[in-house]
Amino acid sequence: MLGKLALAGIKNRRRDYLVLLAGLTMSAAIFYMFANLATNRAFLKANAMVNQASIIFGFGAVLLILITIVYIMYANSFLLSMRQHDYGLFMMLGATRKRIGELVFLETLILGAVATAIGIVLGLLISQFLVGLLLDMLGLHLAHLSAFYLPAIITTAVLYVGLFILASLFNMVRLTRTTVLKLLHTDEQANQPKIHPFRQMVAAVLGVAFLGIGYWALAAIKTLQMTAIPVALVTITIGTYLLFRATLLVIIQGLRRTKWAKRHLNGFLLGQLNFRVYNYTRMLTIVSLLFAMALGAITVGSGYHRQLPMMANSIGTYTVAIHNKNAQEQKLIDQLNVEHQATYTQKRQGKVVYYNAAELQQQPFELSKSAQLAKSLKHPKFYTESLAKFKKNGIQDFDFQSLAVRQDMGFYTPKILNAKQFAKQKGTTLTVTTVRVKDLVQDQKVLKQLNHMEVKRFALPEQVTVGNYQSYEMMSGIFGGLEFMGYFLGIAFLAMLASCLMFKILSGAPGDKQRYQMLYKIGVRQNLMRHGIAKEIGILFLIPGIMGVIDVLFGLQMFKPIMSSPMSPYLGIGSIFAIFIGLYAIYYAITLTLYWRIVLPKAPTN
Amino acid sequence: MTTNTVVNVHNLEKTYGKANERQYKALKGLDFTVEAGEFVGIMGASGSGKTTLLNMLSTLDVPTKGDVVVNGHDVTKMRGNQLADFRAQEVGFIFQDFNLLESLTAEENIGLPLALKGTPSRVMDQAIHEVATTLSIADLLQKYPAELSGGQKQRVAAARAIVHHPSILMGDEPTGALDSTSARELLDLLTTINQKQHMSVLLVTHDPFSASFCQRILFIKDGQIGSEIKRGEQDRSAFYQQILNELGTFNE
Repeated sequence: MLGKLALAGIKNRRRDYLVLLAGLTMSAAIFYMFANLATNRAFLKANAMVNQASIIFGFGAVLLILITIVYIMYANSFLLSMRQHDYGLFMMLGATRKRIGELVFLETLILGAVATAIGIVLGLLISQFLVGLLLDMLGLHLAHLSAFYLPAIITTAVLYVGLFILASLFNMVRLTRTTVLKLLHTDEQANQPKIHPFRQMVAAVLGVAFLGIGYWALAAIKTLQMTAIPVALVTITIGTYLLFRATLLVIIQGLRRTKWAKRHLNGFLLGQLNFRVYNYTRMLTIVSLLFAMALGAITVGSGYHRQLPMMANSIGTYTVAIHNKNAQEQKLIDQLNVEHQATYTQKRQGKVVYYNAAELQQQPFELSKSAQLAKSLKHPKFYTESLAKFKKNGIQDFDFQSLAVRQDMGFYTPKILNAKQFAKQKGTTLTVTTVRVKDLVQDQKVLKQLNHMEVKRFALPEQVTVGNYQSYEMMSGIFGGLEFMGYFLGIAFLAMLASCLMFKILSGAPGDKQRYQMLYKIGVRQNLMRHGIAKEIGILFLIPGIMGVIDVLFGLQMFKPIMSSPMSPYLGIGSIFAIFIGLYAIYYAITLTLYWRIVLPKAPTN
Repeated sequence: MTTNTVVNVHNLEKTYGKANERQYKALKGLDFTVEAGEFVGIMGASGSGKTTLLNMLSTLDVPTKGDVVVNGHDVTKMRGNQLADFRAQEVGFIFQDFNLLESLTAEENIGLPLALKGTPSRVMDQAIHEVATTLSIADLLQKYPAELSGGQKQRVAAARAIVHHPSILMGDEPTGALDSTSARELLDLLTTINQKQHMSVLLVTHDPFSASFCQRILFIKDGQIGSEIKRGEQDRSAFYQQILNELGTFNE
């Protein structure tokens, strides 16, 4: 009977349960996808060429687990807040505590198990389709990436079900220890936090100090090595928490004394925030960290994505070099957006390659100013030399030598002959066409075909790259894993952050419903209430957002060692920040709409 | 009907439930008026339609049929913001469960109706302190509702209800959650407000003691006005007896 009642209770709150289930499912799906990447040894081996990459994967996994724990905690408190009134009622009707305890335990566990199961299936599907799509969009190829990986499924299932068992036990203990009356009257008694000036000062100073240590640790990752990350994680968390605790309340209470607080619903807004913010300090801290990690990860990912071609472009003076171009290749070259193009005749004999001075005179071989490489990353400066000078210096240029690569990995030694001598010179005659495109990314597809044909026709040793395009392909192979993980973790963290914030805010909705009902009776306009709610929730979104951005600006220091010059983790972060903040704003809008629906009193009708 | 009428209810009906479902008629054609400065009580047993009537008067609910005119405004013709503004400006409300916002101090709670109007903060402070003195809660202004006793809470609620000088003060069992001393204090205060500020008061109650503070009492039974008695020149205890007698026969 009681089971039936409980089910009826759930039916009545279908929408809330759907939100909860959807959130938990997404979380499990994300975890599965990450576990799939992080535990798949074959995949890691194939892609994590850079030493730091595997470290970062491990670090990411630990972070994800921690955040999952926090996430489930919040989801669970949301669940509890929805159910306690019903359970209080059952107890009042005479249900034993033991029976209620069992019900709570089962309900939490069933919900968790269902979410985990659906989540894993969803994770599988997403891995199958979306990860491929993401990789395609990024133009990456990651070897040994399969959607189905049993150890990852087991890991996810064990972690989630384990956490839900803990959550169920927690709920059971909590519900059976609370008095019936308290369960029935759950509308929180707003205990008003008081300000202790001295303690507040100390907390502020300590907070700033901890943050300072954390930011320093990230910047000094080269000297601190692996200790930097845990140190930063702990100190930044504590620092943020203390800082929020010390400052937010003071600001709100200061505002409450101003004239502004006495206009329209401002006073009510501040009053709400006043007792909210204190309860929310922990959540805001965690959300600000999540925000920072999501934004940081996406920034780093996109940093690689945008800067790899840039870096590749700055390596040499030509994008591709085609030997003995055929008609088909010429067709492809015609499709390119060419910035500079030159064709030279080569005669190869023994270990020497001969060039025609007349040709070089007519179309001098371009060189790049390598000393200023770092500064002029966006527009590598190309220049040419007089033939006499070129014979002395330019001839040893790496780009020039790469035009003739021997099978045993060495270069033919270039020699320049005048036209007459060149004509007499014996040897295999080839032409080589160098092409530099304006934008490597834009012409990526054609370049890929061209390069593919060239490599097929003139099998070169694997380690040798000729032209910027090949360098780019090689670098993508090395850094692609990092890039992908940046995006992936970024999206995952963002999704979790948003639902954390959403659950916490939504679990306060039942209490707010009464408050807004009161305001409605007093005669507050619907619009005014809407705006008030929008401001209140907006501030709760804004605080961690601001802190998160600050965290990222400092935290990006951490990536300086693995994004060495001319790349930089700070390059072009503006647009990424804008996109990310846009996504965050969408979450805000969704939360707000849900909140409006739950809280706003409905106008009476006939 | 004189120009001094504050509330004019004509042929008021309220039916709950949709047309094709089982319907329940809570009010079956009520007619009555409240003159300016009057202290009127509405009595009736549980389920007689008292609260429904009050909800109609205060625009929290919409009548099925009939007119409600409060201070010259036809309540039934108002929509959306007009309704909210009407409640904010014309009506002062005291509820059984206080309806104070626990996240605000007593002062902020009292000031809320003024803040909604956009009153300048200086005027607001003055009005709050005036009303607080009248209700002798000046020393409680900085406290939160959780720190106040039931009687104190209801006085704060009363202060909030009259701080913006509404044309009528409506009470829905305002003494229902109070002990006898606090209840008496509150009723004395309402009487004072009614006499000194000439504010019309409409009190919905089923408690004869509370009702004995009124000048006129309407008895509602099954959605209709059953009878009406006036205090006239009697003192309160005599009126109390009259109410008890009326209730005795009324409920037969």
